[in-house]
Amino acid sequence: MKHEPAIQIDNVTKQFKDKKAVDRLSLTIEKGSVTALLGPNGAGKTTTVSMILGLMKPTSGTVKLLGGDPHDRAVRSRIGAMLQDTSVIDDLKVGETIDLFRSYYSRPLPLERLLAISGLGAERGKLAASLSGGQQRRLGFALAAAGDPEVLFLDEPTVGMDVTARALFWDTVRAMAGKGKTVLMTTHYLEEADQIADRAAVISQGRLIADGTPSSIKASATGRSISFTAGEALTRDMLLVVPGVADIDWKGSRVRLYSTDTDRLIGVLLERKIPMRDIEIQSGGLEEAFQNLLKKAQ
Amino acid sequence: MSQTYRATWAQCRAEMLRTIRNRRFVFFSILMPAAFFFIFTGTMDGGGIHNWAAYYLMSMTSYGVVGASLVTFSQRVSKERAQGWIRLLRMTPLPSGAYVLSKAAAQGAINIGLILVLFLTGGLSKSIDLPASVWIEAGLWIWAGGFAFMALGMLLGTMRNSDVVQVLATILYMSLSIVGGLWMPTSAMPQIMQTIAKFTPTYRMGQGPWALIGGQPVDWSGIGVLAVYMILFMVVSAYIMKKQEAV
Repeated sequence: MKHEPAIQIDNVTKQFKDKKAVDRLSLTIEKGSVTALLGPNGAGKTTTVSMILGLMKPTSGTVKLLGGDPHDRAVRSRIGAMLQDTSVIDDLKVGETIDLFRSYYSRPLPLERLLAISGLGAERGKLAASLSGGQQRRLGFALAAAGDPEVLFLDEPTVGMDVTARALFWDTVRAMAGKGKTVLMTTHYLEEADQIADRAAVISQGRLIADGTPSSIKASATGRSISFTAGEALTRDMLLVVPGVADIDWKGSRVRLYSTDTDRLIGVLLERKIPMRDIEIQSGGLEEAFQNLLKKAQ
Repeated sequence: MSQTYRATWAQCRAEMLRTIRNRRFVFFSILMPAAFFFIFTGTMDGGGIHNWAAYYLMSMTSYGVVGASLVTFSQRVSKERAQGWIRLLRMTPLPSGAYVLSKAAAQGAINIGLILVLFLTGGLSKSIDLPASVWIEAGLWIWAGGFAFMALGMLLGTMRNSDVVQVLATILYMSLSIVGGLWMPTSAMPQIMQTIAKFTPTYRMGQGPWALIGGQPVDWSGIGVLAVYMILFMVVSAYIMKKQEAV
């Protein structure tokens, strides 16, 4: 069988009336990978996913899903998606809703299994509309998985889920990825992306600003910082001239300096007698790397 | 192919379940028409209309079918659109035609049950004696007319704000039923109202059954008018849906 990527986005732009949501984005996602699309709200993640799924038309550029057109029924029978802002269907029970979705596919997963992976076994006979927000998200996941899809789309999947539900959810996604399924998710819970994804693509203002393993992104960004409470005499200008400061973040009296070499920077700060108290040195997680990437991109 | 068939059938069954569980449906399409029937046949003599109880049973059965198609149906379509359900379905292998088709088929099946329930309730309680052929033909007429109102419900359902849809559908439902003579016979109306009534699909819904009961020749153009309404509503709502999808 010819090697073909699961998703291929080539130079895609999506222009809305007053805003360019996606700007010349190119991205290839290999089969069997778990990719996180990261970015702040309004970065263009959901628009990108909508175009891959064929729910929106790109203004220019091409999108291929499993080598074909997402409107093609043969392609749609091989994918599953959990969208944002999707409610449940009225007047149907949980088990009935899942069974309805199972009927759309030729080789669906068994109902029992879908109830188990969504943790809704006890809610099977309840009306779907009576579920809590987090439970409704889990039902959405069961529906996305109903057809045993090759490519699974998860758009901000864990919003509204509690800690236990989230853990079960990621265990399941990890197990699916282990079976060779391709997963594309959007999230702003960066620590989750760090744990689950083997690739992170960072999008800001519709553009790809970083792409690599979560750890390589962490490393490439200025991930270390020094924070302290500023003395009264301290001004922003005093800090700007200090060599080795990549960026300054000032919240109230708390200051955070980003640097590639915090060991040297702390020496310089002390040498210059910068007024500071309660000093902390942090090595950044993906969260901070991400914030830095966004700052760099602006 | 059999997969599409299986999916459409499952979709149909789910739609029927949902309709029967819907309280608004039970209220507007069964309880309200039945109550009106007993009130108006009990307190009025129909002003010389031949076989008043049968006449009014036809009016109220039509009223119930119109309510099912217009009020419950339209609001459900609108809600599904607003809540992203239709978007989700568009990513499944279910053909989009199967969604509309199964909705119409399910409502069609529900309407048969509705007509039977109201005919039986009214017929037995008031000992209405009509030839079997009249029962069947009148029932079929009302059933077929129901599809025009489903198309109107589908059109209303293209609006995303389901609260607006609910209000608008209820206003349309009541005003069309009154103007079309389902509440009060058009013969009791002033001449000008009688002329206006002829343009309403609700009047056309009752027209066939009323003629059958009165032993008059049936004017088949009534079904023609209903068909024209149905096609008109379908074309407009298909046009709107196409526009909404092209983002």
